[in-house]
Amino acid sequence: MKKLFGIILCFVAFSSASMIGLDALGEEQTLGGMASMAGRGYAGSAKTGEAEGISLMNPARIAFDTKVVFNVNFLMEFLSIEHSNTYYSTNSITIPSFNLSFPMGNYGALGLSLWQRYSSTLDVEADDSSSVINAKMKYQSSVYEVVPSYAVRVPYLRNFSLGGSAHFVMGNTERSLSLGPDNSGVSKKDYWATNNSKITDYVDGTWEVKNHPAYYSFALQYRGRQSSYYFSYTTPHTLENKLNYNFRFSEIDTLAPTKYTREIDVPMTLATGMNFRFKKRNNVMLDLQWRSWDDDVENIGRSFDMDQFTDTQNDILLAAGFQRDGSPLFYDKYWDRITYRCGGWYKGWYVENAHELGGSIGAGFPLGHKGTTVDLAIQGGKRFVDDGHSWEETFIGLRLGLMGIGNWGSTAR
Amino acid sequence: MNKRYLVFLAVLASLALTMSSCLFDSEDSALSSWLSDQGMPDTYKVQTLSIGDLTPLSAEVFLDSTPRGANDRALFGQSANIQHDMVLDFGFDSLLLSTLKNADSAASFLFFRLLPSLYKSQYFPKDSFPLEEDLAVTVSWKLDRSKKSSFLEDIMEITDKDWYKSLSKWKPDASVDTTYSISIGKKDSTLTLVMPHALIDSIRKDVSLCRLQLRLSAPDAKRVYRFYGPNYVYKPQFRITTLSDTLFMYRNLAPFRVADAIKSNEECSDCQVLHGGVFDSMVVEFPSEPIMKGLADFYGDEFPYTVGDGDDVRQAVVLAQMTFPRDDSKGFSELGHPIQVVVGSFVDSLDKEIRRMEEYKVNRKGVVENGHPNMVFYEGDSLTLQVTFGMRNFINKASDGRTFKMMMRLGYPVLQDKDSSYTNYITSKGDTSYVFFSQFDYARYDFTEIMKKPATLKLWLASKRGDE
Repeated sequence: MKKLFGIILCFVAFSSASMIGLDALGEEQTLGGMASMAGRGYAGSAKTGEAEGISLMNPARIAFDTKVVFNVNFLMEFLSIEHSNTYYSTNSITIPSFNLSFPMGNYGALGLSLWQRYSSTLDVEADDSSSVINAKMKYQSSVYEVVPSYAVRVPYLRNFSLGGSAHFVMGNTERSLSLGPDNSGVSKKDYWATNNSKITDYVDGTWEVKNHPAYYSFALQYRGRQSSYYFSYTTPHTLENKLNYNFRFSEIDTLAPTKYTREIDVPMTLATGMNFRFKKRNNVMLDLQWRSWDDDVENIGRSFDMDQFTDTQNDILLAAGFQRDGSPLFYDKYWDRITYRCGGWYKGWYVENAHELGGSIGAGFPLGHKGTTVDLAIQGGKRFVDDGHSWEETFIGLRLGLMGIGNWGSTAR
Repeated sequence: MNKRYLVFLAVLASLALTMSSCLFDSEDSALSSWLSDQGMPDTYKVQTLSIGDLTPLSAEVFLDSTPRGANDRALFGQSANIQHDMVLDFGFDSLLLSTLKNADSAASFLFFRLLPSLYKSQYFPKDSFPLEEDLAVTVSWKLDRSKKSSFLEDIMEITDKDWYKSLSKWKPDASVDTTYSISIGKKDSTLTLVMPHALIDSIRKDVSLCRLQLRLSAPDAKRVYRFYGPNYVYKPQFRITTLSDTLFMYRNLAPFRVADAIKSNEECSDCQVLHGGVFDSMVVEFPSEPIMKGLADFYGDEFPYTVGDGDDVRQAVVLAQMTFPRDDSKGFSELGHPIQVVVGSFVDSLDKEIRRMEEYKVNRKGVVENGHPNMVFYEGDSLTLQVTFGMRNFINKASDGRTFKMMMRLGYPVLQDKDSSYTNYITSKGDTSYVFFSQFDYARYDFTEIMKKPATLKLWLASKRGDE
């Protein structure tokens, strides 16, 4: 079977995101893939302001917000995979998150996010007119989280806030491998029986948290005059992926699927970060996230020679960034009102031997006088995998965030 | 402001696209070798497996003897131990009935026009004409009368389905046995049957609106006679003639529907006999064990698969065919052409077992050389039937201990046994090339001995099992 790949003449990819951990959990959209966070290298969960909005790792932060913030984020990613000195390029477009935060003054702040936390996306077609190969491979898997959060400033210790969020997990999995026949193992007189007979190895399923409606994050935030810090803890949990395995001849001609639930034990996450403000509107920030995986991740697998498990490693995100806040005064020069960002990060994936190094620049462009902002981030980097087959992914991402800011619920004093 | 922003965004986007196209050169082999490293296949490997010595556990024949519509092709007679009675449904209006009652004498006849698509066809045996015999016919009838003006309309509102059902419990008011000397020399002849006097006498007894259900039975006929049905211009006619003083009058009535009531006169109740032209079917049941053992030996896995919910999707049947030994000597065919054997099998659908007709995939090269393998009354000594859907479902659900069942019945006569198209088609000259004859052969095929002998199952399999 492997030999046959060598003679594929035409391989069409319709779209694909990172292919690391494709059969496991897929690619994680760090911190909801927010354009504002991505622009400063995913650092700055400790940064407070009047309209910073939700940080998915630090639910305590929104207690310091005074304005209602809604944002939606888009990602367009160009990806090049290098494998054995050959390259393959593809691209993908996703909407990693929607976020809404609603400060209520002394009563704290409410937040709600929809986060596409993990996704596997692949849609390719192999076609070779000179042989029987006509294969279509498709992955479309998303683990979504609906995350309501609440944060409140601690009475008497007004520089501190406490926050908590619940992560309700949902989503779907689809893996579809449509294959043509390889008759090399049968007598020539038997070829006729499988002419034009395509078969699809089809798996679909749903996601949820085992035994609980959700898993939870708790955070403590300190906001100082110049420095801010946070610490957060996210509970360990087990993700349940209920799968139906099937062989399909067409969508209406299938076998009775066999059911299997894979369970993925996700360890607790610890995160901390700081933000240091200087010269009024300049910030440097540093963030650290850490998860220690005990168990390997069970793959969808169960077909052909696909691995049944993906080995894991300690999963870490180290991010450093800089942000120059834009002037809040609408009569200042436009260039001065733009928020400028830059940053870099190192991420050790949950997949063993997979590491990511990236850098980004970004800006927040205010629109009009009411605080609506368009955040833009351009990021690039590399993911290295050294699993004995040594391959790399080089990516360039263009992230766009639309942020609406309002003063709902606030009254003039 | 907005314009400035949009221009900026457009520049950035085009910059990103340009960068990506410059940086990211693409070669297909990178993706294919990556997929290969992940253990993903680009084809499924086809494997074949033959499992012999499959002796059926049982073979049961079912004959659907419910009368059926014969409005296109009216027929009566007997062939291959199946008796076909013709039942005609007429209505008489009061004007006709009063003419009849007042007449000095009356007589009645039935006219039938031979079905040219059968008898004039080049595929009908040429030496069959003239059709001659002394035909013993039982003419029986039921008369219903009413003075209600809507009586005839009410009768026409009785659905065909209900009428057919009522014919299953046929209790005639009267019947007369008579013998007709049949001699049909021409292929477009009209057959005239003089009806017994008792029939017209009972019709003219009263002037109330009248419905006549007339049945012709010829259990000892040499053949089944086929005619135009009431859907055609040349429909069957019931002619009534009257003589009053010196005035001779006649009137032709057409039945508003005709049914074919069948009855099996097979004497051997344990025999597995299939008949052509009627919807009788045979369900053959095979034991699970030899099939499971054959698969277990082949894959080295446990069969049936009982892990989890027990639905086995480790492999799938791409094609399956069952080969039976064949002996045509005990069969009877009217028309002398090979007859296709149609196959169905039993599959699960929405937690119910349903019968699904199998598709027939043509081995084009094999058919051109040896003819279709799914025919009887043909050269060779085997009958090969495709049971892909059934076998696919059977292996998938075998953990519940089920047996494998398939259904077969006789289909249409095959005119071009080595034509691989297996359907009537238009040739490049614009002519229709008939692979099948559109008329049934009222044939008989005895599978009794065949079902005592072992069959062979051949499977083309696709497996999810890897190479290693």
